[in-house]
Amino acid sequence: MDTSLVLLRTALALYALGFVSAFLPLLTRLKTGRLTPFLALAGWIAHTAALWALGIGLQRCPLGTLPEILSALSWSAVLIYLVVFWRYRLEVLHVVILPLVLVVQVVSGLVPEELIPVAAPLRPSLLRFHLTVIIFAVAALFITFAASLAYVLLDRALKARRPVRLYPKLPSLERCDEVGRVSLLWAFPLLTLGILTGAVATASINHTFWTWQAKETLAVIAWAILAVVIVLRLGWGWRGRNPALLTIVAFCAVLLRMLGVY
Amino acid sequence: MPIVFGMNHRSAPLAVRERVAFPGEEVGAAAARLRGLTGVEEAVLLSTCNRTELIVTASAADAGGILARFLERERPIALDELERHCYLHRGPEAVRHVFRLTSSLDSMVVGEAQILGQVKEAYAAAGRAGSLGPVLDALFRRAFSAAKKVRTETGIARNPVSIACAAVSLARDIFGDLDDNSVLVVGAGKMARLAAQQLKSEGVRAVAVANRSFQHADELARELGGRAVPFDRLFEEMERADIVIASTAAPHRVIGREDALRVSRARRGRPIFFIDIAVPRDVDPAVHEIDNVYLYDLDDLQGVVKANMDGRLHEVQSAEAIIEREVAAFLAWRKSLEVTPTIVELRQRLHEIALAELERFHSRLGELTPDQAEAVRLLAVSLVNKLLHQPTVALKRAAALNGGGLRVELIREIFGMDTRHPEGDAAPVQGDRDETVAAPVAGHAESAPSRRQDER
Repeated sequence: MDTSLVLLRTALALYALGFVSAFLPLLTRLKTGRLTPFLALAGWIAHTAALWALGIGLQRCPLGTLPEILSALSWSAVLIYLVVFWRYRLEVLHVVILPLVLVVQVVSGLVPEELIPVAAPLRPSLLRFHLTVIIFAVAALFITFAASLAYVLLDRALKARRPVRLYPKLPSLERCDEVGRVSLLWAFPLLTLGILTGAVATASINHTFWTWQAKETLAVIAWAILAVVIVLRLGWGWRGRNPALLTIVAFCAVLLRMLGVY
Repeated sequence: MPIVFGMNHRSAPLAVRERVAFPGEEVGAAAARLRGLTGVEEAVLLSTCNRTELIVTASAADAGGILARFLERERPIALDELERHCYLHRGPEAVRHVFRLTSSLDSMVVGEAQILGQVKEAYAAAGRAGSLGPVLDALFRRAFSAAKKVRTETGIARNPVSIACAAVSLARDIFGDLDDNSVLVVGAGKMARLAAQQLKSEGVRAVAVANRSFQHADELARELGGRAVPFDRLFEEMERADIVIASTAAPHRVIGREDALRVSRARRGRPIFFIDIAVPRDVDPAVHEIDNVYLYDLDDLQGVVKANMDGRLHEVQSAEAIIEREVAAFLAWRKSLEVTPTIVELRQRLHEIALAELERFHSRLGELTPDQAEAVRLLAVSLVNKLLHQPTVALKRAAALNGGGLRVELIREIFGMDTRHPEGDAAPVQGDRDETVAAPVAGHAESAPSRRQDER
């Protein structure tokens, strides 16, 4: 437990450093931006080790409590961010993803460490599957969110005919749209699977398939919005600002649900 | 110290500047002739369309007059005109001027990149012509590094400040690197050609030209390596084009809101960028309100350019601060050279005294073995060196000080040297001068603090 905590703190410190290095160029002339992905990578490695050590210490999969789930969420978000960054060179990801990861990590330290109740003997594996899938879906949505946000900002600037001169330099509209589309295409099926397995798991505990709790409702609303976006994008070739805005709304709902704040 | 004599776009109109300008291939030879004048020690000649500047170091008191007469002889211009349009900077002012101009703070378009290359060429030409000396060499080297600092540490050269570049930069904001995008040029005028060429050089994939006169369209298309399309197929073509440059001479709108909406729908929302550089305008301004359609007309592009310009001017302040630091560093270095003659003289004087005293006491010491004689000489020399140490350090420190001259005067007086402080302009840097003084202690182990290392 101790090792894992030290490792987790190290990871958090490295993420925080990455965050600072991404934001310093906004305020000063320092060019620390190129350090950010490496700091994030170092943080992620420490994070991986921390999760591993935690799993060994607890003698179970470290997805049993809400803090553990949130920690796993930020772990996978950083993983996907690093992959997407090295594939697309979107510097804007630094300033969106790292703050989100930090928020999730900090919240994970604040929420109570209650074990999630597990009823039937067969269920833990289903619950774990549900959580893993959901975590990766949300992590992919982080990227969708970042790309959509960049799209909306750039579109506004172009429509206002006031060129944005931000650091990091925003990617082109086309690039934002593409990253938003591709990451959503990954996130959406995972999210669907996650919600379905979640419903089944809930049913096995509460013996009702659906409880009208705010958190389920939020998740389903987000899912419905994303479904509309996907259908319109694929079917009608809908693109641009409006899908980006809708995606941002859906992401906020998902994030609220994940952080357990309703 | 350096002297700058010349004119630029602010001090002289083009009609005057063009008469004073030197053609590129003559610059080296002219610099050599300038260097050949009596009183001129080093010379660099910089001549661009916006400025002609003579940058020299000179021992002559009337350097301004010499330089003006040089220009009068070399170029078809009268002395009184030169007097009206030229400026003369000396010493720190001249250093600052060279630093600012190399960093493009003195340019018509602040932050433009050309001037640095032009100054480098002038410097290289002077080097080849042999008119460069230690002072100007150091001045220009430092000016280049200052210019580099200004470019990298401030945003002075960051954003485009021409209409064409602004349009390209907007296209990049929308489409990215453009090599997958195509351009449709509507109209075959000069402006359309220029804009299309700019985009072509930025790597757009395909160019199509539509014009009322198919023949003109064909000519332009051939020139741009694209294809001509009939004017009545304009909107079909637009469905495939990502960037539309509208530049017809038509007195009415050519592309209306409905047309653009139809095109955008047919493109399934892929963004389209209209650049309307026609006057009167070709594209209905309402087109800009459609999602995924962006329209910039001449005024809008002008606005972008102006915003970028303002951004640059904002950066000028931090650039000036860098320049001030660099100027101060250069002047401090120059000043440190100025105390060298005093240090040299001081050493020479004290060693002379020591040797004279040795000579005087020679008889009193009686018969000495060669070893003993050498020991006595060593004693005297090492005593002098020890005594010299502190004043030397104080002099070097005075060099870097503002008003250090007073301290130098004081030391000269204390050691009974004539109190006329050798002025920096009288070429104090000559290496051969301190060679003579090094002699008394040459090869001696107790040789006092370094004399020469600090000079460069």
